[in-house]
Amino acid sequence: MALHLNLLHEEILAERQRQRDPLKIGLLVLAGCGAILFLYYAWNAYQTIEIKSELSKVQNEWAKIEPQVTAAQKKSADLNNVITTTRVLDGYIDNRFFWAPVLEKISHCVAPNVQLTAIEGMVLDEDKGVTVSIEGVAAAREPRSAAEDLRQMLFEQLAKSYHDVKVEFRTLEDLETLANVGGVRTPMARYNIFITFRNTEAPKPTPAPTRVKHRDESS
Amino acid sequence: MNLPKLTPDQIKKLSLSVMGFIFLLYVYFNFFLGPLSKSRKEAQVAIADRQHKIASSKGEMQKATNLERQAKDAMTRFAALKTLSPEGAPIAWFPPRVKSFFTDQHIDKAVARLESNTTFKEAELGGWTKYNWVIELPQVDYTSLGDAVAALENTEPLLTITKISVHPVVEEPQFQQVAIAATTVIQKR
Repeated sequence: MALHLNLLHEEILAERQRQRDPLKIGLLVLAGCGAILFLYYAWNAYQTIEIKSELSKVQNEWAKIEPQVTAAQKKSADLNNVITTTRVLDGYIDNRFFWAPVLEKISHCVAPNVQLTAIEGMVLDEDKGVTVSIEGVAAAREPRSAAEDLRQMLFEQLAKSYHDVKVEFRTLEDLETLANVGGVRTPMARYNIFITFRNTEAPKPTPAPTRVKHRDESS
Repeated sequence: MNLPKLTPDQIKKLSLSVMGFIFLLYVYFNFFLGPLSKSRKEAQVAIADRQHKIASSKGEMQKATNLERQAKDAMTRFAALKTLSPEGAPIAWFPPRVKSFFTDQHIDKAVARLESNTTFKEAELGGWTKYNWVIELPQVDYTSLGDAVAALENTEPLLTITKISVHPVVEEPQFQQVAIAATTVIQKR
């Protein structure tokens, strides 16, 4: 067995102590940590740069699209405006009351022994209906019944097309003067007929809520 | 493990190094890494926002295209309704129009007078105004009146007759004297 003699014992010990110098080790650790932190920072910076470049790409894309979007939004708003306005105007047009059919119906009701002297018609606001006032004279052996025939005729004709029709005499009075109808002196009556009706059906009242019977109440 | 014994000088240096290290970490996180990650987060939020805007804008543009297709009928109808309101003040063009309309209906005398004008309560009709007119026909026979009223109601969709009054002409009982109250909806110009 070979014998090893350490003749430099003190020098080797000093060397080892130098190597184990805590300050040196601390500085090395510090440098290592610093390097790791630097690398971590560099990695983060790289990621941030990448994200920022993506952001600028997206911003460029948005800058290209934005005017088109603004124009599309404006167009949508305009179109919606046109659609709603047209719808409201169409509703207004559809809800109009037409007088020509009423005039036609009145003309169909007038018999030769009846004369109209005035017609006053009015559309009431808020869909409350229409009123017509007819004044005239009837000449017949029974002038009142001639006027009544006119009233009934008006009711029949108007009820065919309108709702809630009411045809009533406001006045019906005999006249003292006689009319000459075909050389025959005929008694006369003056009348005023008041008509009310609706163009559309009146809204039905909503039924009263019925009470729901619970099981425990029935027992 | 035998830890080397530290001299007071070494301990002092070590504690100074540790404090320096802590200070370095503070500076690193607060002044370097902190702002960096903050700006990265802001950029990510901005990207998400822009991408959301881009995605929704594509839908918006598609919606506008679809709406345009759907609104074709409404636009045509709206344009047709607009043409019923010529340029200029209604009092300047409506009475002559009424006069020529009744002339075409073989009713020579027709006078239209403006009574009042009102705005609509409906917000959708903010660009339109209601004009109330009185149309006087001093001499007309009943049949011509019926035909004329029918034609007027059919050719003027934005005109509503609210009141009609028929009385005989005293000297010529075969003719009637008629007053018509009408409301027209006219676009504001």
